[in-house]
Amino acid sequence: MLRIERVLGSRVEAAFAGALHDLEHHGAVDVLPLAPADVSRRRMRAQTRAGADLAISLPRDQTLFDGAVLLLEADRAIVVRVNAERWLQLSPRSIADAVELGYHAGNLHWRVRFAGESLLVALEAPVDDYVARLGTMVSERRVAAAVLDEGEAA
Amino acid sequence: MTAARIGIGGPVGSGKTALIEALIPRLTASGVNLAVITNDLVTREDAERIRRSGLIDPARVGAVEAGACPHTVIREDPTMNMVAGDEMEAKFPGLQLLIYESGGDNLASTFSLDLVDWWMFVIDVAGGDDIPRKRGPGVLRCDLLVVNKIDLAPHVGVNLPRMLDEAQAVRGGRPVLATNCRRGDGVAEIAAAIDAAVLFRT
Repeated sequence: MLRIERVLGSRVEAAFAGALHDLEHHGAVDVLPLAPADVSRRRMRAQTRAGADLAISLPRDQTLFDGAVLLLEADRAIVVRVNAERWLQLSPRSIADAVELGYHAGNLHWRVRFAGESLLVALEAPVDDYVARLGTMVSERRVAAAVLDEGEAA
Repeated sequence: MTAARIGIGGPVGSGKTALIEALIPRLTASGVNLAVITNDLVTREDAERIRRSGLIDPARVGAVEAGACPHTVIREDPTMNMVAGDEMEAKFPGLQLLIYESGGDNLASTFSLDLVDWWMFVIDVAGGDDIPRKRGPGVLRCDLLVVNKIDLAPHVGVNLPRMLDEAQAVRGGRPVLATNCRRGDGVAEIAAAIDAAVLFRT
């Protein structure tokens, strides 16, 4: 078990970029993959791609982020990689449907983004859990639902 | 190092306070330096119950009155709870574990990860074996689902194995534990889960 008690910095900072670049050439940069929903955790047990068992406990004023450097030694480094967020694109057919959809999304405390005439909902659970909550709005095709990955939702 | 912060949520009457009362002696006996912060709607009932329990120094039990739906202070704006936690940590240096008990809400309540590092949701057998099938966010998203009062299953017509199977299914195989907090059944497993998830002793 390797204890990580603070984030050293970001991989793009000049102080780390050079060293990480050199280590990458030697295949010595290990990655901690994280789901977007887990990034806010300050304390967790997690395993890197290479199998290192991490016990992370950050100060309350620090958070993890994509590119966070957790360990930098002469012969290895560990960097956080946040997996792409998946979004459920909900496109209402009319203004009345949009009003109803907005009510449900707020009432269910979904994490949303606005995209023109669509509402994007961050998927933190299987897509069926979200669609089921909208009931007839989707089954009657008053709202069209499609899953997008981070690139498509940008 | 700051104390680990964990949350215990779930409907009113499911056994959250009873679980804390069962956990305190087990955790303190294994050397964990802990404190508790309870949330109530407009009273300090749960805090008073734990203070009177004789299980813990009453000064180590704090109370936050939500004043509104209890989920608001664990999810939408957990500031009051964060401040109460910071004060508790300042008062007791070396604190390792801070347990937040939610005031009791419906199946939709969830904890913000700005407040806690890990959280469990307590439902009970007497609430009905259809609770997992209702797929409430609390049931789905918690790190550990606790199904309490398993001793009552035969008295309320609940098929416990099926309820536990359905809970596992809706959670995609994430952890579910069955307890009878009044008797202590299953409490050791919960203490072990806390240890592994945030105390890192196992």
